Amino acid sequence: MTSVEAVLLPVGGDLYGLPMTWMREVVAVTAGSVTPLVTAPAVVLGLVNLRGEIVPLLDTAALLGVGTVPAPAFAAVLYTPYGPVGLAATGFPERAALDAPTGPSELPGTAGVFRVDRRVVVLLDPAVLIAPEHLGEPEPRARTSVSAGAG
Amino acid sequence: MAGLSVGQIRALFAQEAEGRLQSLSRLLLELEHTGGDDAVISAIFREVHTLKGSAAVAGLDHVSAVAHELEELVDDLRAGRRLVTPDVIDTLLAGSDRLEALISAPADDAAPVASGAATGRPDAQPAAGAAPVMNGHDVNGRASERDAPGGPAANGHGKPGAVAAPAPSPTPPPSRGGPNGSSAHSVVIVPTERLEELIRLVGEAASAHLRVGRLLTDRFDVTEPASYPEFNDLSRLLNQLQDKATRTQMVPVSTITDQLRRAVRDLARAQGKDVRWDERGADTELDRGVLRQLSDSLIHLVRNAVDHGIELPAERVAAGKPRHATIRLHAMQLGSEVIIAVTDDGRGIDVERVRERAARQGVDTDGLTEQELLELTMRPGLSTTSFVTDISGRGVGLDVVKSNVEAARGRVEIRSELGRGSEFRIVVPITLAVLRCLLVEAGGQRFALPFHRVVLTQAYDLTSQSHAEGRSVVWVNDQPVTVSALAHTLGLGRADSAGGPIVVLADGARRHAFYVDQLVGQRDVVLKGLSPVVLRVPAVAGASVEPDGSILVVLDPPGLIARAQHANRVAVLSPDVTRDGPRPRVLVVDDALTVRELQRSILERAGFDVRVAVDGSQALAKLAEETADVVLTDIEMPIMDGFALTTAIRAHPTLANIPVLILSSRASDGDRQRGLDAGADGYIAKSGFDEAGLLSAVHRLLGARV
Repeated sequence: MTSVEAVLLPVGGDLYGLPMTWMREVVAVTAGSVTPLVTAPAVVLGLVNLRGEIVPLLDTAALLGVGTVPAPAFAAVLYTPYGPVGLAATGFPERAALDAPTGPSELPGTAGVFRVDRRVVVLLDPAVLIAPEHLGEPEPRARTSVSAGAG
Repeated sequence: MAGLSVGQIRALFAQEAEGRLQSLSRLLLELEHTGGDDAVISAIFREVHTLKGSAAVAGLDHVSAVAHELEELVDDLRAGRRLVTPDVIDTLLAGSDRLEALISAPADDAAPVASGAATGRPDAQPAAGAAPVMNGHDVNGRASERDAPGGPAANGHGKPGAVAAPAPSPTPPPSRGGPNGSSAHSVVIVPTERLEELIRLVGEAASAHLRVGRLLTDRFDVTEPASYPEFNDLSRLLNQLQDKATRTQMVPVSTITDQLRRAVRDLARAQGKDVRWDERGADTELDRGVLRQLSDSLIHLVRNAVDHGIELPAERVAAGKPRHATIRLHAMQLGSEVIIAVTDDGRGIDVERVRERAARQGVDTDGLTEQELLELTMRPGLSTTSFVTDISGRGVGLDVVKSNVEAARGRVEIRSELGRGSEFRIVVPITLAVLRCLLVEAGGQRFALPFHRVVLTQAYDLTSQSHAEGRSVVWVNDQPVTVSALAHTLGLGRADSAGGPIVVLADGARRHAFYVDQLVGQRDVVLKGLSPVVLRVPAVAGASVEPDGSILVVLDPPGLIARAQHANRVAVLSPDVTRDGPRPRVLVVDDALTVRELQRSILERAGFDVRVAVDGSQALAKLAEETADVVLTDIEMPIMDGFALTTAIRAHPTLANIPVLILSSRASDGDRQRGLDAGADGYIAKSGFDEAGLLSAVHRLLGARV
């Protein structure tokens, strides 16, 4: 079984894997470096300036429907058909090889559950996760935070 | 040219020639329009002459020979030996096309031939002294003066009868471009990837500059790098550099209008139609890639207009129309969109025929409006012409235009009136544009409003406010205009967060006023479209990167107005009634006026009831008069500092529970600990101070107390 090279994204207490083929770079973000995008869907945390490029930063937890990222510390910037898109992480993403999945995952936009050491990693499927139709209609922000701390 | 290889020289020539040929084409059309303007003829001569010389330097003798032929003909015009006629223009345009084909051909294919090249056949005959090379057209009437032994037009398309004539009377120089206005002289063609790399590096430089600012603060105790002129100069220059670099990605619509005009001209000539070309707003700029995507569709639309829309002159006269028809290209930027409209005053689209054809194809046309029938013409196979022409009736139709425009994330709109003409509008969202904007603050965030939608701004005036139909209105130029708080419309504040300056925006006939916190100023903003991932964001046109690296959101006034007007009507009885309850009271204590007022401004905008004091003792006096829900204090103050104030509050029997937040430029661990020891609930270093952080800390303290 060929392993999947991935970047592990800490999101609160969860760990999500992003296939390396999608990864462009990881950048640190702070509350001040994210410009809120008024009237945007709740999954859009805001916009970040990536060396002059304006990149949307998406709430990874909200995309998956598991709460929200309370305070993004890093953004994993992906190459996508829609241009660069950032996924918020609460801790520094590290690289790992994902071997055979230990089982299927349940959430839309995911592609299986993997084990890295003693940690559980849920592999993301960015093609589904960040498709514009997945983002939904604009709505007021009303959110509950996922617990921070892992990662 | 020492040091340059032949390949490099030819690459340079190709770059130069591209600009010169564009200029030549434009000048030739101008010449036809003005009918023999001396200045235009001289400009054409210069272009052709320079092309000839440059081609020779590049070792492209076959190109030089073609240019020489053209130069001879233009020289005849200049000397008055020949009149400017449509045939002569045809010949010159064909020669220009030939030059373009030869220059763009791979080096191996560009055989050094002339007559062979004209007919598309390889030919070993040397260029010098070769036959005329203007494909399919004869330079008639000047054989005795020509040094071309092959004689005129071997292909049988020559038109006899041109006579030598006196030079036409001079007319004023053309208004657009002009003989000396050729942009080719000031244009350098740069590969796109180099520009993109340049823009990326400028972005990197701006980012590095920000890091240097942070380094100065963190490592060298420079509290405010921006207070040093040298640092500010660098910021300003990098800002300008970024702005200019970004603009290199944008090109005016005029870069493709020459080929559109040429397409109209050639087709009209071929069909015996008299068509005038008119263009407006050609300086409207849009992203180079988008314009490239649209150019084929625009060519199709203008050819379609000539072919299907415009009637023959006799038909027009019989219908009471001017003999000459007009096709107009009008480009404009409206908010977040660029519109390129192609309008003709031809026969228009017969919607009943559209209905018949659609019905024959099995389309249910019952109940369709006229507009919906018009839009059916963008379905495959629904051309309304009664015959298929060579030009635009086979295969490629409006459906292809529609799909091409949609690929550029745009749309096509049709308007047509039978007997009066048609208009096709290509509407594409802005991916990049420079907009003059009014900058405002609302809900603690800065926004840009495109200036062309701003009707006026006016100061807050309680007496100008009223209510109508459940909505707040203000009097603007003696007209009641519905007013909303911009912050509320954007979901950043409450409906009653009124009271700042008013900005009146317009969308066509609709006007709507918005309260803002503050008018910041106006300036050009380089607007970038948002990622398709966040495309469906109402009321936002795009965003721009600010000089300090932050992002400025540019609002879309039509969307904003629609959003405000669709908002639920709130029966505003009085501002106090709609409030949720008493506003939290904050006492700001700082001896620095600027800091004090900044904090007051931020907190008041966020809905707090703010009082201020200049030192600890005054703060205690004010607290004795009326307590507060939070005290926000500096440390370094005369008479009584922040530590002493905090200690005094904690020791006071009725004030002891008031949360105290210290905000100070003293950021050492020792100071922080001393403040906490004195009883402070929080400590914010001024170097890390920002609006969101302040509000967050105050809200946290209020929440904690509750």
